[in-house]
Amino acid sequence: MSSVLKTQLPLDTCAQEPIRIPGTIQPHGALIVCHPQSLTVLQASVNCSEILGCDAHIIDRPLREIFGASLAEEVRRWLDSQDITLLRTTSSGAKTLQVLGHRTAQGIILEFEEPPATENETIGALYPRIGRFMDQLQDLSGIQEACAVAAREFRRVSGFNRILIYRFDAEWNGEVLAEDSDGVLPSYLGLRFPASDIPAQARELYRTNRLRLIPDANYTPVPVHPSANPLDKASLDLSLAALRSVSPVHLQYMRNMGTLASMSISILVEGRLWGLVSCHNAQPRRVNAQMRTACDLLGTMLSHQIASREHSSYAADRIRLKHLEAQLLVHLTTAESPSRALASQGRLWMNLTDAAGAAVITGNEVFASGETPSGDRLRSLADWIETQHGGDQFVTANLGQQQPEFADIADVASGVLAVSISQLHRSFILWFRPEVVRTVHWAGDPQKAVPSTTEPLRPRHSFASWAEQQRLRAEPWSRAHIDAALDFRSAMINIVLRRAEEHAALTSQLQRTNRELESFSYSISHDLRAPFRHIVGYTQLLRDREKNLSEKAQHYLESINEAAATAGQLVDDLLSFSHLGRTSLAHGNVDMNKLLQEVLRTVEPDIRERQVVWQLERLPSAWGDAAMLRQALVNLIGNAIKYSRDRTPATISVRGDGNERECIYEVRDNGVGFDMRYVHKLFGVFQRLHRMEDFEGTGIGLALTKRIVERHGGWISAEGEVDRGACFRFAIPSRKES
Amino acid sequence: MADLRPILLVEDNPKDIELTLAALAKCQLANSIVLTRDGAEALDYIYRRGAHADRYPGDPAVVLLDLKLPKVDGLEVLERLKGDADHRQIPVVMLTSSREESDLVRSYELGVNAFVVKPVDFNAFFEAIQDLGMFWGVLNEPPPRGRHGS
Repeated sequence: MSSVLKTQLPLDTCAQEPIRIPGTIQPHGALIVCHPQSLTVLQASVNCSEILGCDAHIIDRPLREIFGASLAEEVRRWLDSQDITLLRTTSSGAKTLQVLGHRTAQGIILEFEEPPATENETIGALYPRIGRFMDQLQDLSGIQEACAVAAREFRRVSGFNRILIYRFDAEWNGEVLAEDSDGVLPSYLGLRFPASDIPAQARELYRTNRLRLIPDANYTPVPVHPSANPLDKASLDLSLAALRSVSPVHLQYMRNMGTLASMSISILVEGRLWGLVSCHNAQPRRVNAQMRTACDLLGTMLSHQIASREHSSYAADRIRLKHLEAQLLVHLTTAESPSRALASQGRLWMNLTDAAGAAVITGNEVFASGETPSGDRLRSLADWIETQHGGDQFVTANLGQQQPEFADIADVASGVLAVSISQLHRSFILWFRPEVVRTVHWAGDPQKAVPSTTEPLRPRHSFASWAEQQRLRAEPWSRAHIDAALDFRSAMINIVLRRAEEHAALTSQLQRTNRELESFSYSISHDLRAPFRHIVGYTQLLRDREKNLSEKAQHYLESINEAAATAGQLVDDLLSFSHLGRTSLAHGNVDMNKLLQEVLRTVEPDIRERQVVWQLERLPSAWGDAAMLRQALVNLIGNAIKYSRDRTPATISVRGDGNERECIYEVRDNGVGFDMRYVHKLFGVFQRLHRMEDFEGTGIGLALTKRIVERHGGWISAEGEVDRGACFRFAIPSRKES
Repeated sequence: MADLRPILLVEDNPKDIELTLAALAKCQLANSIVLTRDGAEALDYIYRRGAHADRYPGDPAVVLLDLKLPKVDGLEVLERLKGDADHRQIPVVMLTSSREESDLVRSYELGVNAFVVKPVDFNAFFEAIQDLGMFWGVLNEPPPRGRHGS
């Protein structure tokens, strides 16, 4: 019971395909389905009495009753064992029969075949041959040579006229790699069989059941009765039955090809249908079960050999590419950005997938190296990949065929291998391979093999060589290349992630430092100002009290007073400077004319004794923080007044101009000016271009002004000439209409 | 005629006390000056408790309140007074060495009557104190809305 459940077939969609449940078998044997416990007959092919020489009515009768105790015991022993299949020779009356058994969910299927009248070869002679075959395979390095040796061996063992060994390409077309033939049938070596010759559900069946035999394409199918299985009321699944009847379309195909008998053995590599060994005979030909098992064994050996060859060539490629990847990653970790690394290491990037071109697309930015499409085409391609495919990778060797809108870039980009490096925004690394025009020789025009929708399903008639020139195709990407690209992708994402982490760590460190600075400036604000204030206060009190101080003493007091006042001012200026970095801007529409009038009123006391000619023009309104802009104007006008104090009259002009992008304001004076050689120092903190005794000040005013303007997203510049005046311009961006 | 209620000065720095008293003295105000050295003592005075339990009743004409104080700081005193219906009409002038915007914003939120950043220049400080003394001590009109200094 439990062994029955263990071998139950997965109930996938392919299991539902009609080729698994034809309801009939081929006539060279008989089939019965037994109950797994009682071994009573549930279903039977209608040719049982003919083949087995038994009673016509066997349904519901126990096996023992029909075939005697010995077969029934044999079957029971097998069911108790771990063996997947049963293969025995038994006798029924005068006949010697080979019996094959396998477990299904619908019961035990037993198949009986009469061995062919003439044996191909004695079983005993097979073993040394198989041993020799294995040794030969070991010595060969190439897959093609292994297939050639295998084709020869298959023909010897099976006795068929022609053996073809073919490999499926990415589109499931079969390319004949090896052939061994006695000349009775035409040669197909080097030709291709279109994918439509073996439909998808048949390929899927070939993965589960590795060997098929059709001894005579002209056979008449034998029904199995009753058609519904009594255990599950479903059609009988013959997926693993040797006698399974095949599609009439396939039989017609065989007749068209001139082969009345065929046997095929699947070549499976890592569970994938890699190719087929196809044995053809012009005349009907039967192969007994032992011989079929031997052929299956040969097929398995060939499969292992191919797998090991593919694996070692994959491993060799991977080692080579890993080495390149390591080199590339070294550049990546040290380069500023992936795009920079691409720019400097283009050859390495391309070699990683043996491509002729490589590109990185981040957002709208495109960096390319080698032979690639233009920037615009790259962007469209990235858009298409992103919307149509998504996921981590996109691989094609025939882009122009897959998507005709990209046929124009086929010359450089028929092959595309793309990996996404960001989940958030469009970011790809792409590799390109050029179009390689090649000639493919089909076994018959594949276009004619495609069944039309209006006609009934009909196989093709012509297998004559038909040459096709294939365009829009590149050399296909190997698994090693695709895996190298994926490995590289994860390494790169790790680098990006690590950078992000470093960035986050730095940010939190900066935030901590910033908080410390804030509390530092807070305590300066409170504690450092007080002593200066006290010095000034006590100096004043002393002066008020001692009216008769000597001139010298008064001078000392005045100096103490000035020094403390300057220090206090310095603290205040520094605080406003640091404050500016921390406070947020309160944006609004600022009437700069009004602001200017306010500023002029505050500076009025400073110029009461002086002659100043003001040239004021109407200023455009600014979009910004009124208090800060006021501070900027105060600083610039204060400077203009300060540095023009030796002029009589001093001329100070203020004007402005605005457009939709920005408003520019200008403050110009005719004062002492400055040397343009030092203009770069003008806006630095504590930078002074004049001696302290000539012009007082803390050296912060212009730094503060610059900071204000830059916080608004604007710019500031200065022009000057010694003794010819200075001109400061600053721009505030206009309000963005949203 | 002016009310002669006292002016309450809340200040802990001895030098600031001396300078502020000197400035006030120059105004030649008739008001007496009551000095408390921290926020807790200031509240004791206003609420007539602790050491000030026996003082004559009546609110001060104005409270000149330093921001940074031991025990209970200036903002807490301000919050307490302005949150009390019986005392919220007492004018409070914040005197501070700080230019911190957050202090200023908080003071105005709490309903301060004026906020004075003590200028480094003694003359300016003197003028500010004088103005305050005259304005709040002598005239003692209902508290206006505007800012004084800053």
